[in-house]
Amino acid sequence: MNEQLLSVGIDMGTSTTQLVLSKLHIENLASSFTVPRLVITNKEVVYRSDICFTPVLADNRIDMIQIQQFVQEQYAKAGISKEEIQTGAVIITGETARKENASEVLQSLSGFAGDFVVATAGPDLESIIAAKGAGAHTYSKDRSTSIVNIDIGGGTSNLALFASGDLLDTGCLDIGGRLIKVDQNSHEITYIAPKIKQLAERRGIPLALGQRVTPVDLEPIIGEMVKLLEESVGIRPLGDFYDTIVTNKGLKLDRNIASISFSGGVADYIYNESTGDVFQYGDIGILLGRAIAASPLTKQLTVARAAETIRATVVGAGSHTTEISGSTITYTDESFPIKSVPILKLSLSDESSDDETLARAITDKLSWFKLNNDLQQVAIAIEGKSSPSFQEVQKYARGLHKGMAELLEQKYPLIVVVHHDMAKVLGQTLYALLDYKKDVICLDSVVVDNGDYIDIGKPIADGKVLPIVIKTLVFH
Amino acid sequence: MNEKDLKSMIESILNEMVGNAPAETSAKPTAPAPAPSAAPSVAAAAVAAPAQQAQPTASAAAQPTMAPQEQMQEQVDTGECLDDITEINLRKLLLVDNPEDREGYLKMKEKTPARLGVGRAGPRYKTITSLRFRADHAAAQDAVFSYVSEDFVKEMNLVAVETLCSHKDEYITRPDLGRQFSAETIEYIKQNTTKQAKVQIMVGDGLSSAAIEANLRDIVPAITQGLKMYGLEAGNILFVKHCRVPSMDVIGDATEADVVCLLVGERPGLVTAESMSAYIAYKPTVGMPEARRTVISNIHSGGTPAVEAGAHIAELIKTMIDRKASGIDLKL
Repeated sequence: MNEQLLSVGIDMGTSTTQLVLSKLHIENLASSFTVPRLVITNKEVVYRSDICFTPVLADNRIDMIQIQQFVQEQYAKAGISKEEIQTGAVIITGETARKENASEVLQSLSGFAGDFVVATAGPDLESIIAAKGAGAHTYSKDRSTSIVNIDIGGGTSNLALFASGDLLDTGCLDIGGRLIKVDQNSHEITYIAPKIKQLAERRGIPLALGQRVTPVDLEPIIGEMVKLLEESVGIRPLGDFYDTIVTNKGLKLDRNIASISFSGGVADYIYNESTGDVFQYGDIGILLGRAIAASPLTKQLTVARAAETIRATVVGAGSHTTEISGSTITYTDESFPIKSVPILKLSLSDESSDDETLARAITDKLSWFKLNNDLQQVAIAIEGKSSPSFQEVQKYARGLHKGMAELLEQKYPLIVVVHHDMAKVLGQTLYALLDYKKDVICLDSVVVDNGDYIDIGKPIADGKVLPIVIKTLVFH
Repeated sequence: MNEKDLKSMIESILNEMVGNAPAETSAKPTAPAPAPSAAPSVAAAAVAAPAQQAQPTASAAAQPTMAPQEQMQEQVDTGECLDDITEINLRKLLLVDNPEDREGYLKMKEKTPARLGVGRAGPRYKTITSLRFRADHAAAQDAVFSYVSEDFVKEMNLVAVETLCSHKDEYITRPDLGRQFSAETIEYIKQNTTKQAKVQIMVGDGLSSAAIEANLRDIVPAITQGLKMYGLEAGNILFVKHCRVPSMDVIGDATEADVVCLLVGERPGLVTAESMSAYIAYKPTVGMPEARRTVISNIHSGGTPAVEAGAHIAELIKTMIDRKASGIDLKL
């Protein structure tokens, strides 16, 4: 059996918007004599769109109509219709995620792009998606090494650290190629981002709007930006400006990092020599890339070539956001897709004791999800146990049943997400406790955390598995 | 290859591995030469592993040639016992000295039960590797040659019957008898099962009684609960002693059930002795092609968890009843 899913990725970034189409190949790797084990075996990008500037209206809101037109045009160019799109993700990143109508645009675009195209946003997710698009996780897995990917775009540098294929940490700095803009013709500075202005003042570097600059004039401030990147990966002691430049958080830096890769628009000028005018894009992107290439970042760490640079985020959104659930699961309701359900992940101590404790923990924590006393749809996530006894399964089911009492009154099915392989039996046990009257969706082999959201698509592979997207929705 | 050939083959491999001549069976002419020099080192090694253990016990085990009286005198029961070396998780045990990339090696070992990274002592395995190999082999043999306890059969509320085999040796050497029942037994089965039931579940010791005792408590309630969800009753469950897989065909004929599901102990290997399979067939009948059986194998704590397998089997049975087919006739 070999099934394919057509997936779309759309990235609405600070400066550009792009789209890719990917094919995800799904195969049953188990022999005919065991329970099925379906996995995504291959991901290939089949279409890359033009890169357009993210359209912004005069009142600084995102121009929804233009973006929809762009998506429609690209679908036509690729020769596919919206109905053929089976999965995918729209990610809104950088400055664009901070716009007033960001959430609204994101939700409506995800619906516009396809039935099961999910909306995503958030700096951590952005770092992960870009790094996966750049191939950093595969590099670390293949070579069983650690690697940090820095996705350097117009406004931010997103860091993601992987070791042997596992994500360890993420971080984000306000360093990017368009934080200083320079007029292409007059070479006058037309924009300086507030944090960069502050950095220049702190270091006594003269930098002012309207100042005519040469690449040499910009060397000191770009040098300071590169130093901050060196600090962010632990090859230079943290300086006095590091905390200021960090967007939300930096890497923990509790271990040595062996390799480094770069993605984002600036990455092209780290890996390649630029030709033509350094101010051809009206910003410092090319100079920043060159400075990074000449810095200890590429000398002290092994440089890995990214599979994608400027398209890393969009390829990540198209190819690396959809996962598939475990192959032995329970769902008694077919009303998919289910979109953007927040996750309540219980702590290990909540679930390792008796069913009463589990039930109490769920009831208590469910109150976090009340808006004006109104409980939202929530998916409960537990770690579960590898090879549990039937009694343990019953304990989990009783605890969940009791704890989720308030959710039973909703019209939605109960959603339970387990890490270990036990969802089929747990789902059936829960369904039995509910007297087969309330629908249950119980999935396993999925790792989630508090703050995540889950989207669940229509069953694939003869109903054996469900495509899912685990994501965040953070608009700063 | 039958069980005995396999057993003697593994024994000879083991004996060559530890550099010892086989104690009683089939002493090879080539073996005696290295034996004298090898024997002391084996004894020393055996002592070295459990360092705090009293020497006499360990060397007595390693050297069966020692005079019986002497052995008797030296054995003092202090109530202590050796650590069970089969408790060690082999996937987390890396015996290579100074590995270039320990993390990478362990990562690789996580993915396979194969005995990778065992290191070596000169040209040979280390003592712990040899001992563990023998311990796992012993567990495999025990699983084959022991019986599912009667208390367990009672506890699980199973209807106990047996095939025409009268003892384990006959069971091992006469596969044909392991799939036949006496006329009285057939009658007893008919009396204690529902005629023309939708599904008949049966349990057989097969080649691993350990597998049955390890998994049945968890898989049976999972299957019956799952069946109930589909509106199916499990009814009485049979237990067949000295059971070969095709005995389910006889049960199929006797009960006229739509689907027969046999939970049977798998031939044990060195990875686990507790692996169980489920053979499931739609209207099985004596003489039918083997291809009509659907198999879910590898049910044990390190493979497919028993509870999860049970839930899956219930769904599979439901699918078979709906589609009136099993084995290769049933496209899943």
